[in-house]
Amino acid sequence: MATKISSKLHSVSEVQAAIAAGESLFLAGSREALSQLPRGNWVGGTISYFMSEAGGVMSDDRIFTTSIPDFVLQVETAEYGTEDLAKLYLDAPEHGFTFLALPASSAVLKTFAEEAPNCDGFLFRPVVGWVSGVHADRIGIDSPAVFNGKTGAVLQDKAVALHIELPSNKIAELDIVNIFEPGDGDVIRFQKAGFHVDDCLIGGKPVNFADYIQQMALPTEFPLVGDYNGSSINVSFQKVDSEKHTVDLFAPVFPGVDYRFAKPVADYGQAFGQVIAREEKDSDFACNCILNYLYGKLEGKKTGHVTGPITFGEIAHQLLNQTMVRLYLRDIG
Amino acid sequence: MVPDISHPVWLQVVTGKKPIQSSKATVNLMIHNNKSSYERDSSPENVKQMIAKTHKFFSQFEAIFPSEVNQISQ
Repeated sequence: MATKISSKLHSVSEVQAAIAAGESLFLAGSREALSQLPRGNWVGGTISYFMSEAGGVMSDDRIFTTSIPDFVLQVETAEYGTEDLAKLYLDAPEHGFTFLALPASSAVLKTFAEEAPNCDGFLFRPVVGWVSGVHADRIGIDSPAVFNGKTGAVLQDKAVALHIELPSNKIAELDIVNIFEPGDGDVIRFQKAGFHVDDCLIGGKPVNFADYIQQMALPTEFPLVGDYNGSSINVSFQKVDSEKHTVDLFAPVFPGVDYRFAKPVADYGQAFGQVIAREEKDSDFACNCILNYLYGKLEGKKTGHVTGPITFGEIAHQLLNQTMVRLYLRDIG
Repeated sequence: MVPDISHPVWLQVVTGKKPIQSSKATVNLMIHNNKSSYERDSSPENVKQMIAKTHKFFSQFEAIFPSEVNQISQ
């Protein structure tokens, strides 16, 4: 039997050969690179930034492949729009997990981010993946997309998924690596879910959030950190509009969550290295955030030994920001 | 071992009276969602649904969250 393609950066021709050999793949690459691939059992999304074995790198002619192991029982590709996104959890195998890619700035991403926690199957059917993007200097000019290799569709308004059924002796575990901790500033709450914020509650009193950020001179390169029973979930800033007095975020805030501004991090690469060094096993898939790459100046720097795409949003059950996500396929029984 | 669904500990877990300490984001999202749901609706019907869901969650993922199941069992 031929050796399977390894989970790392490959040339287009190497990925073409793997698809032709019948491999199931979850792919990240530029639109130009992904457009050269034949139809097959794969899905992917546009991204040109990667954590490689040599460190952070930008490439338009290589593709990061995540190979699906031989022991899986079944792999199914699927695509979803805003109208049928909840079906994602119905289609997901009872015992397994789902790889998901969604285009940045799309309605389907907004729906997923705001509605996934309310869907039947949330947390029970693990969903892991990322948000596709474009070159940082082409944001607003080029369009992020996802690819359904089964149909050949290139989609800017749909999500693509690989549903993967596992044997009974394996289980999928999702993990997040967050280098940010809540700071010691005010606790901030929001009364409704959303990416677009005007008012918040501080000490129970309504305050305009944009005004608060400006008055306190808070650095928005660091995220808001939400407290979920002790786990820190980040929400990153897209824009603070001082004229409209509004704040746009890269993920929604939710009511019932205590948020604080993060403690500043000086050296992102070192911070990731310290956290990852404590892990005993290599992950089966990982991705990291473009904001960590840009703000942390990670080009050429390693984030521990972890490799994977650097993305416009990370998914571990729900949409995350400025976070590394990892998937482990554990032995059980 | 995951306690039977009829065990009174589940009421304590879903209402937050029995805190579960965990470093696992998946568990903490589940616990947080319970807390939010209970804050919105503390009716017996909702609590019953939360118990069923939480019991199912820890039964499904007992193998990867043994420390958390142990806390519930004690």
